[in-house]
Amino acid sequence: METAERLLAIGQGYLWIGLVVAAVFLAWGIDRVEAKAQGAWIFRPLLLPGAVLIWPLVLWRWLRVERGNACPQAPYRPPLTAQRLFSMIVIFACPAILMGALLLRQDGPLERPAVQLAAPQEGQAHE
Amino acid sequence: MSDREAPFFIGWAAMPPGLRWFMGGIALGLILFLAGIAYVTAATQDDPGQGAFVGRANATGILQAEPYPILHVTESADFALGSALLLTGGGKRGVQGRAAGLDGALVAVSGARIARGDIAALQLRGGEAGLKALEQAAITPPAVQDLGRWRISGEICDGKCYAGAMRPGRGLAHKACANLCLIGGIPPVLVATDKIDGTEFFLLAGPDGGPVTDQILDHVGLLIELEGQVQRHGGMAVLRLDPETLKVIP
Repeated sequence: METAERLLAIGQGYLWIGLVVAAVFLAWGIDRVEAKAQGAWIFRPLLLPGAVLIWPLVLWRWLRVERGNACPQAPYRPPLTAQRLFSMIVIFACPAILMGALLLRQDGPLERPAVQLAAPQEGQAHE
Repeated sequence: MSDREAPFFIGWAAMPPGLRWFMGGIALGLILFLAGIAYVTAATQDDPGQGAFVGRANATGILQAEPYPILHVTESADFALGSALLLTGGGKRGVQGRAAGLDGALVAVSGARIARGDIAALQLRGGEAGLKALEQAAITPPAVQDLGRWRISGEICDGKCYAGAMRPGRGLAHKACANLCLIGGIPPVLVATDKIDGTEFFLLAGPDGGPVTDQILDHVGLLIELEGQVQRHGGMAVLRLDPETLKVIP
């Protein structure tokens, strides 16, 4: 198996496991983790893609709740101190990266003439 | 109006009458704004060209295995006699394995035709239905005509995507795809900014006339300049590039 095939197989395996974890979590586990989700179903498909992608985190947080290790106050804590700083960095970094890429990209002139450096060699190239 | 009487919007609740016009305006404005963004984004894209898959095609001709498998057409209802076709397999695979041992042989090919201007490619069907040696007297392959050494600018593309398998099959955004195609054995072509002997498409070869894939991967999808010996193999212009001269134009 080549490296690329191995990487693809690992990615596929990860996503299949994620699909199973997400399905179980959204069908059953979320009711145990978040009381307000009980009886609410319409929003659950929206969480499916994210849960498939970060299923290890979903599983870990779910296990913490099941074992009683999760802090019930955690969802109500104010944002972390650095969160505001990071959001500001993202707000400015994204346009800067985009504009920088536009400035740095190749920009012609596209009509460059071909230059003959040596005349055809009669007979030499014939095979 | 006190806070208690001020209308308050909740997504899942009934719309407060006082907010209907305001929310309608917001919704309409968003639709127009996003439609405008979509239009501007689409309108500023480069034209992907007319390249496309254009149906099943058959041909008989002389197979040339080096630098990459091409067919010099000697008989076909779909292609002009004397024209040359880039031969590819399905997906990102070349047909070097199937063409090995058939260099200079008269073969019948069949597959999906990909065409874009002067460049034509054929994605062969599987097995002998796609490529089959014919039991006929050997035909002389077209003579190689030397056109001299040239310095040319342009972009290295994979011959299959550029010919129309993808739209657009060129540019920086297509670099990774093109490299995977080239690694898989698809013939690389230089799409030049100027014509030599009436053509702006050149099949790339190494200095020795063999394949050159490994030495060009870093320069695919960019506007580059290179030097090399230009030759005409029948209907196909071949550029034997000098990898030392490859450079990205700033």
